[in-house]
Amino acid sequence: MIEIANVVKKYGDLIALNHLSFEISSGIIFGLLGVNGAGKSTLLSVLNGLSPIDSGDIKVFGLDIKKDIKKIRQISSIIPQNLAFYDKLSVQENLDFFGKIQNAKKENYNKAIEINGLNDVLNQRASTLSGGQKRRLNIAIGLLNDPKIIYFDEPTVGIDTKSRNEILESIKNYKDFGITVVYTSHYLNEIESICDEVAILSHGKLVTQEHIAQAGNLEEQFLELTGGEDA
Amino acid sequence: MLSAMINKEFLLVLRDKKALALLFVMPAVFILIISVAMRDVFTGSSVRFDICVNDLDNSTISKKLASNISKNKSFSSVSSDKAQIIITIPKNYVKKSKKLNIEIKDTLKSDEIELFKAKLLKNIVNLKLKIIKNRLMEFSDEAGMAIDSVSLDSKNLFNIKYNKNDDIPNSTQQSVPSWIVFGMFFMITPIATVFINERKQNTLSRLSSMNVSAYAMILSKIVPYLVIAQIQAWIMVGVGMYIVPLFDTPALAINGSVTALIFLSFCLSLSAVGLAMLIAVNANTTEQASTIGGILSILLGAIGGVMVPKFIMPHSMQILANISPMSWGLDGFLDIFLKGGGIAMVLNESLMLLLFGAITLGISMIILKHKQGFE
Repeated sequence: MIEIANVVKKYGDLIALNHLSFEISSGIIFGLLGVNGAGKSTLLSVLNGLSPIDSGDIKVFGLDIKKDIKKIRQISSIIPQNLAFYDKLSVQENLDFFGKIQNAKKENYNKAIEINGLNDVLNQRASTLSGGQKRRLNIAIGLLNDPKIIYFDEPTVGIDTKSRNEILESIKNYKDFGITVVYTSHYLNEIESICDEVAILSHGKLVTQEHIAQAGNLEEQFLELTGGEDA
Repeated sequence: MLSAMINKEFLLVLRDKKALALLFVMPAVFILIISVAMRDVFTGSSVRFDICVNDLDNSTISKKLASNISKNKSFSSVSSDKAQIIITIPKNYVKKSKKLNIEIKDTLKSDEIELFKAKLLKNIVNLKLKIIKNRLMEFSDEAGMAIDSVSLDSKNLFNIKYNKNDDIPNSTQQSVPSWIVFGMFFMITPIATVFINERKQNTLSRLSSMNVSAYAMILSKIVPYLVIAQIQAWIMVGVGMYIVPLFDTPALAINGSVTALIFLSFCLSLSAVGLAMLIAVNANTTEQASTIGGILSILLGAIGGVMVPKFIMPHSMQILANISPMSWGLDGFLDIFLKGGGIAMVLNESLMLLLFGAITLGISMIILKHKQGFE
C-alpha cells in the first residue's frame, strides 16, 4: 500500500502538490488523471524519491520515503515518459546495462523480454526500433528489478494504436504477478480500460478518487471536476 | 555496477564516429600541419632569397660577380618573373664604377632587406678586394699578398660561443604537446553530449531511481576517458615520431621519462574530464555545452601557449599563461621532451592539474546531487 499524507511539494513559488492525501491499495492498477501541470509527474517523482517533499509523509509498503528511499527504489520502478535508454546500444546491451546496475536476476531479464515481445530485436540498435518497440524497451527496463510497484508516466505517448493496445494489454497482466501499477495518462479511455481505481488531480490537489466501476462516465466527470480543462 | 557503467560509457564513445574523429584525427592532422608549416620558424634555418641577376656589363668582372652571387647559399637564382629581388649590373659597371641596381619585387620585412644587403655587400667587397689585389700584384707581389690577410669570413674575424637554449623547442616538439593538450580538452564535447542527452531523455533520473550514486556516475565518466586520453596522447606522440619526419621535419624525441609522460597525461586528462563534467552538469543543451566548451578550450589554449608558443609571448602574457591548465600540461610535456625530465621535474605541473581536476569534479558531483537527486 502507498500512503500519501498531507504532502506539499513546491518549485519556488509554484505549489506542485498542495497538501495532497490519498492511499493506493496493493495489487491494483491505479490511474492518475489531470491536465498538464496538475501534479501527476511531480507525484511520481516524489514517490520514487527523485524529488524531495517539502512537508507531509509518504509510506510505500510501510517504508518511509524520507528514511528508506534506497529500499523503496529497490522494490519500485518508474517508466518515464521519455525513452530513457541509450540509442547507440542494442536492446540486449541496454537490458544488460540497466540489469547489471540493479543486480537483476536472469529470470527477470527473460520475463521483461517475453512480456514486452523484444525477443526478435535483441541485437538491434535501439535507435533503429519502431516507436512501439522503443516504448516496450522503455517498459522492459523497468521490469528488470522485479518491482512490487511500477509508476508509468504516460507510457503510450506518440505511438500507434496497435502498439498502444499491446502495451495496455501487457500492463493489465502485471496484476497477475502481484505488481501495483500507478498509471498516469492523458487518455481517459486508457484509464477506463485498464485501471481499477482512478484519482483526479487539479492544481496539486486531489479532486476525487473512485473505483472505476463506480465512476460512471469518466470523461464527463473529469471535465466537470477540472472545470472543463482539456485532458 | 561500476563496471557496467564504465562499459556503457566505452560503448557510447566508441560508437560515436564524430567524437572519435574529434579526439584522434583532428589533433593528429593539426600536429602534422603545424609541425611542417612552422618548421623553419622554430629551427631558425637561414633565409633564402629568390633572385635574378641581369648582367648588362658582360665584362669578366661582372660575370664573376654574377657567378659569385648565384653561388651564395642565401640566394636562389630564378627567372625574373619569379624573383623576389632583381639585381641589375649596369653597362660600364666596372669601367665607370657604377652602382648596382636592385629592384625588390616582393614584400620583404626590413630585417630581411638588411640581411640581403649584408649578404650582397660581402660578395661585392670580396670581388673588389680581388680586383685591388690583382692591380697591386702588377706593381708588387708583396703588396698584393697583403690583401689576402683581409678576410670578410666571420670565422676569421670573431669567435662565437653558442649557448644552446634548451627552452626553445623545434616545431615538432612544440606542436605535439600543444595538440595533445588541446586534443584532450576536445573531450568536453563528447562527454557533455552524452551527459546532456542522458539528462534530456530522463536516463539520469532513471539511473538515480536505480540507486546509482553521484560518485559512481562521475567515476564511470572518468575511467573511460582517462583510457581514451592515454591512447590519444600516444597516438599523437607516434605521429610526431614517425609521420612528421616523412615531411622533412624534425622527428619528436622523448628525451625524458616515459613514466613521467604517462603520469602527466593522466593528470592532464583528469583536469580535462573535470572541466568537461563541470560544463556538462551546468549546460542545458548540447549546443550550449559545445559552444561554451569550444570557446573555453580556445581561450585556455590561446592563453596557455598552445596557439602561440609561450617563449615568444611578452613577459606579461607569459605570466598570464600560468592561469591556464593547458599551460601546465604543455610545460610538463616540454620538460619531458626537451629537458629529459622525469616525474620530479613535472611534479608541480601534475599536482596543479590533479588539483584542478579534483576541484572541478568535486563541484560537478555537488551539482549532480543537487540537480538530479543522486545520492
